[in-house]
Amino acid sequence: MGSAPAQIPTSFGHELRACLRCRLVKTYDQFRESGCENCPFFKMDEDHERVVDCTTPNFNGIISVMDPTRSWAARWLRIGRFVPGCYTLAVSEALPEDLQNLCEDERIQYVPPKRV
Amino acid sequence: MEDEEYDDEQALDDLEDEEEEDDRSSKKRRRSEFIDDVAEEDEDEEEEDYDDEDEDYGGGGRGGGGGGRKHKAKRRTGSEFFDLEAQVDSDEDEEEEEGEDDFIVDGGADLPDEVDGRGIHRRPLLPREDEAEDVEDLERRIQARYARSSHTEYDEETTDVEQQALLPSVRDPKLWMVKCAIGREREAAVCLMQKYIDKGAELQIRSAVALDHLKNYIYVEADKEAHVKEACKGLRNIYSQKVMLVPIREMTDVLSVESKAIDLSRDTWVRMKLGSYKGDLAKVVDVDNVRQRVTVKLIPRIDLQALANKLEGRDAPKKKAFVPPPRFMNVDEARYSHCFLIYVRELHIRVERRRDQITGDYFENIGGMLFKDGFLYKTVSTKSISAANIKPTFDELEKFRTPGENGESDMASLSTLFANRKKGHFMKGDAVIVIKGDLKNLKGWVEKVDEENVHIRPEMKGLPKTLALNQKELCKYFEPGNHVKVVSGTQEGATGMVVKVEQHVLIILSDTTKEHIRVFADDVVESSEVTTGVTKIGDYELHDLVLLDNNSFGVIIRVESEAFQVLKGVPDRPEVALVKLREIKYKIEKKSNVQDKNKNTVSVKDVVRILEGPCKGKQGPVEHIYRGILFIYDRHHLEHAGFICAKSSSCTVVGGSRGNGDRNGDAFRFNNHRPPPRVPQSPRRLSRGGHQNDYGGRHRGGRGGHDPLIGTTVKIRQGPFKGYRGRVVEIKGQSVRVELESQMKVVTGKLLLMWGNLFSFLFHGYLYGQLTTVLFAVDRSYISDNVVVSTPYRDAPRYGMGSETPMHPSRTPLHPYSTPMRDAAGIVF
Repeated sequence: MGSAPAQIPTSFGHELRACLRCRLVKTYDQFRESGCENCPFFKMDEDHERVVDCTTPNFNGIISVMDPTRSWAARWLRIGRFVPGCYTLAVSEALPEDLQNLCEDERIQYVPPKRV
Repeated sequence: MEDEEYDDEQALDDLEDEEEEDDRSSKKRRRSEFIDDVAEEDEDEEEEDYDDEDEDYGGGGRGGGGGGRKHKAKRRTGSEFFDLEAQVDSDEDEEEEEGEDDFIVDGGADLPDEVDGRGIHRRPLLPREDEAEDVEDLERRIQARYARSSHTEYDEETTDVEQQALLPSVRDPKLWMVKCAIGREREAAVCLMQKYIDKGAELQIRSAVALDHLKNYIYVEADKEAHVKEACKGLRNIYSQKVMLVPIREMTDVLSVESKAIDLSRDTWVRMKLGSYKGDLAKVVDVDNVRQRVTVKLIPRIDLQALANKLEGRDAPKKKAFVPPPRFMNVDEARYSHCFLIYVRELHIRVERRRDQITGDYFENIGGMLFKDGFLYKTVSTKSISAANIKPTFDELEKFRTPGENGESDMASLSTLFANRKKGHFMKGDAVIVIKGDLKNLKGWVEKVDEENVHIRPEMKGLPKTLALNQKELCKYFEPGNHVKVVSGTQEGATGMVVKVEQHVLIILSDTTKEHIRVFADDVVESSEVTTGVTKIGDYELHDLVLLDNNSFGVIIRVESEAFQVLKGVPDRPEVALVKLREIKYKIEKKSNVQDKNKNTVSVKDVVRILEGPCKGKQGPVEHIYRGILFIYDRHHLEHAGFICAKSSSCTVVGGSRGNGDRNGDAFRFNNHRPPPRVPQSPRRLSRGGHQNDYGGRHRGGRGGHDPLIGTTVKIRQGPFKGYRGRVVEIKGQSVRVELESQMKVVTGKLLLMWGNLFSFLFHGYLYGQLTTVLFAVDRSYISDNVVVSTPYRDAPRYGMGSETPMHPSRTPLHPYSTPMRDAAGIVF
């Protein structure tokens, strides 16, 4: 096991949200309480407004990645570098601009979703 | 920050130096060339990631034998880039073994650290060299850290080509399709994750996928089917008796979900999915992403009586089947429904006026429902509206336009319409206008279109040659006079000429109905095509004269999907009936002549002027004659497809009557014409706006094969069929149907001018619509070959149209009936 897994969603309904950067899926409350394991620099746990900005309820499909480094699916979806956890296959929205800038400042790559 | 990175690098270097045998060193060597280059940092990280990966494999390898092999294969892919790979490869395994051991020991000891998870991702963890008792430990931490921040590199390569490199190979784990309880797909995937967390590496599956669009199944990624079954054991939502292997080619399909963007933002048009508003158009006014609710603006459907009953606690009648029609609830504005207010008061419904805390807008609260400007504001779950592919009809949009709103604010909502644009919406050469941003209202032409952007050549000077704009910032642009075709929306298929441009709405004079239609500029392409649309049901066609059930008769002025609109033969008072096919007895084809007020004979196609009645002064060719009633076609008459119904006795023939004479070559028949022959208007005068005499000439054409032109060979002068020769098969109104010799097909075009033995045909609506323009647009130098016509020659100089005018002198005498009979203008059909 490479790294500690992220929190696992505690429910499966529409409380679920996906991080707009790493696509980690958790409930709103989970994001609010402990932020995103892959994107700590968003500091969602410190600023609850951030949760709304950094995550979206609109996502498509869930993938539980147990072993990101050895999962072909994770590699294909480009989440192979993230911690094990539940992710979504795709988000449609892009990160708000100010947060994209934040990524830039942190020298974290952000790749906006491709529009279909 | 940067310094820190350097430190890390330095640390890494040190580390790597220690492990000379490891292939890491080879990477290092490569990297060291760039050591001073900050930009190369990523390169580094990438490499480190491979290492990381390797170690992970080691970790996983603990659990099962499969891991080791896997690892080796994996490593090969990773080290392909390194020159020393071959050299290193031989002892790789042994070395690796050691490395793994080390890692496992350390990893085990440090795990608790990592469980803390987030702490490790924080930047200022490194370095604490003073405490760095263990190089391995330090290394591990560095890697842990890089693993976190370095997926940057990984994600960067999102081009398709690079994605190709990630295609599954035989060495990758496979996907297995496993049945699960319906509706529990996500849950099943999450349960597997939870199980993995509980059991750790014991669970040898790599991932589990639940797709939103696939019910009853999940996918599990693993090397072996047995691993899948093992993992699913004991989970009640997953039925793993039968697992199906996904073929390697289809693996990517499983994961490619289209993330159709649902842009729920202010001013988005949506449709209600549930309740009494089901199917109704609504406009989003507010979005609460957290609670997943939206506030929408609707045209209310309120049963006030029921509301009153409810408010007074009276028993409301049990759920009624009927849905109240949408109407505006105008409480303070008399404009729509003054009586509503009175009604509301009468019913003792309390209207409360409240101010919204946030927006400061005033709402009327009636029984818990909020109204503003007559609209109902309703907050609903995002699930109960659909936002995909919403195409509001024109009527709906019109209704949504509140009195104060002008076209400007419509624009915001228009942009949601753009979301439905098809691919290839803009094409090179399209005229466009910018609708958003700094360049708003800039016009230009499309030069090039790529994925998202449209490159336009701006109209305005002083701007770059081309500008790249997002296609959402653009709207098609048309000018009055353009001939267009509607390519989407409710009017799809219609063609016509743009007569007015109101913002992004065009008013088009339809070719078919001659009526004005309103369409979005965005739904339209410039086209010279003239479609007639549906003009025929059964045996009956547009403009046919038909006898109806009740022995009344009329002319078909519009063909609808199931019925005809018939302008009845009632003089002086237009009466239109909607008639079904079965209500028509037969088509009246009998041709009769009647006498006009001056006892002149009026035949079909003669131009008459109406002398009495509401349409007094109008004139046009007679299309049908029946029981003393004339159906006159005046294309300037905008109602009833241009048809006017009048008694023959209240009309007078203008110009000459068309009899059998010209067909027989009996030119002198015209001398019998009683009123002094009018001097026909020259086309030039027509062009100056005198349209009254468009029909000053005699009208040729007609139906039932009467026209001498029918059967003659003509050559097409303009349009897509330019140069083709064909035989005239039908002439109706302004259109001519010509059977093309070379193509064995019949095309419809417009007969522009017939003049002596000269024919000018305008096909496919080129410059369609404006008669005068048309006349001038025709180049008369053409003389068609093979034309056998029995048309009286008309005095060419009469046209007085300058250079265009003179008919080719040498040709004229060739015509058998070239004797000038009377001065006549060009004949325009």
